[in-house]
Amino acid sequence: MDATDLTPLVERCRAGDAAAWEVFVRQLQGRLFALAYSYAGDREDARDLAQEIFVRLYEARHQWPTGDEFLPWLFRVARNRSVDYLRRRSVRRPAATADETEMAELPDPGPGAEARAIESDRRSLLHAALRGLSAISREIVVLRDVHGLPVQQVASILGVPLGTVKSRASRARVELAERVMALSRGRSEA
Amino acid sequence: MSASICDQVRAAALDPGTVSADWARRPEIAAHLRCCPSCQDWLDAFAAGERVWEAVLAAAFTERVVARTSGLAAVLGELPSLAEMDPGPGFTERVLLATSMKPAPQGWRARVADAWLALVRRPRFAWEAAYVATVCLVLVFGNPVGAIEWSAVNIGTVARERLAPPVQEFRADLESWRARLSAASAPPPSTSAARQVAAASPAVRIWEAALDWLRLTSSSVIDAIARAWDALAAWLGGPEGEPAPRSTEPPAGPARSHQ
Repeated sequence: MDATDLTPLVERCRAGDAAAWEVFVRQLQGRLFALAYSYAGDREDARDLAQEIFVRLYEARHQWPTGDEFLPWLFRVARNRSVDYLRRRSVRRPAATADETEMAELPDPGPGAEARAIESDRRSLLHAALRGLSAISREIVVLRDVHGLPVQQVASILGVPLGTVKSRASRARVELAERVMALSRGRSEA
Repeated sequence: MSASICDQVRAAALDPGTVSADWARRPEIAAHLRCCPSCQDWLDAFAAGERVWEAVLAAAFTERVVARTSGLAAVLGELPSLAEMDPGPGFTERVLLATSMKPAPQGWRARVADAWLALVRRPRFAWEAAYVATVCLVLVFGNPVGAIEWSAVNIGTVARERLAPPVQEFRADLESWRARLSAASAPPPSTSAARQVAAASPAVRIWEAALDWLRLTSSSVIDAIARAWDALAAWLGGPEGEPAPRSTEPPAGPARSHQ
């Protein structure tokens, strides 16, 4: 997704266009839900969290930045909401256990079901490996390698120095690859 | 063969310095191994264990190398597929419903009202408010029950002691203001001054009239404040010359004995 693609839509949402808001939700829900899922680790919690993020965005729609500043701002808002949500959830109940097979349980009728099941299995493996990383490493990998944000923006969103992001990113990638290999070996042996 | 020689052979096998020196071919070790089946078995098991360990280390090393090369590339190639996920049916409608029922706050008053309502509507608000009130009561009065009664009795005394000096000062200030105002409004305008005012421009006349009105109004307001302040001072001060009671202690119980 490019910030320039979103600019007209963002402008219309800022002006209070209800139809533009609906398009905005439909266009970004997959991405924000994925981001929320990487924090919540649970589909239902991720749905609640993604909805909270959208409500927050809607409330602040008159203050949305435009142009290149919009996407980093969006991720910062989503990240802050997610951190608040996790804090509240940790008070309310213990952190959800990782449900590795959750992503593979989606109903999948029709042709190509086997290929999609394999892909879904692979995704659940990646999610499980991501959840094994430390919080900061996971955030860096998610923002940098999953959502493709530049290193400077990742550092700005997380509020850490640029050098920290770079060094942590390389270590976290290797750790993630090792975890993925270990998990896939464990599954094939099981 | 004595046990001490067996121990020496096994210790030599465990010593990394001797293993690489082809120690098993040394004549005395070889002779011992030929005649001691227990040491021979031990050595075979030890060698098998070494091989297993080397294999484990080699596999881990290979895995680490793969993880840092082709495995890493594969994982990095797959990560962008996680950027989008289907939130499931009904999610869009849920979000639109939640946002259509939430108009953006219009100003700070609406935001404060929203925040207050959100605070009040929390299920434990009454308990929390009662708790805070109790804590405040205890912090201010110590023992709430006895101290409230004591405070009600003695608050006049304390107020008299604290407020008497400022009351006197303020009264003196009021007197001086009154004197100044009466001095300012006392001299009637002379005929030359009246002529000047009449000859002046309308703006100057309006300005003069406004000043006169302000003088009169402020004088009456200050008089009212002075009367109220005098009444307060009379109530607080009591009969002049009477010293205020000094005791600010809680009501005494039975008289204390020195013994």
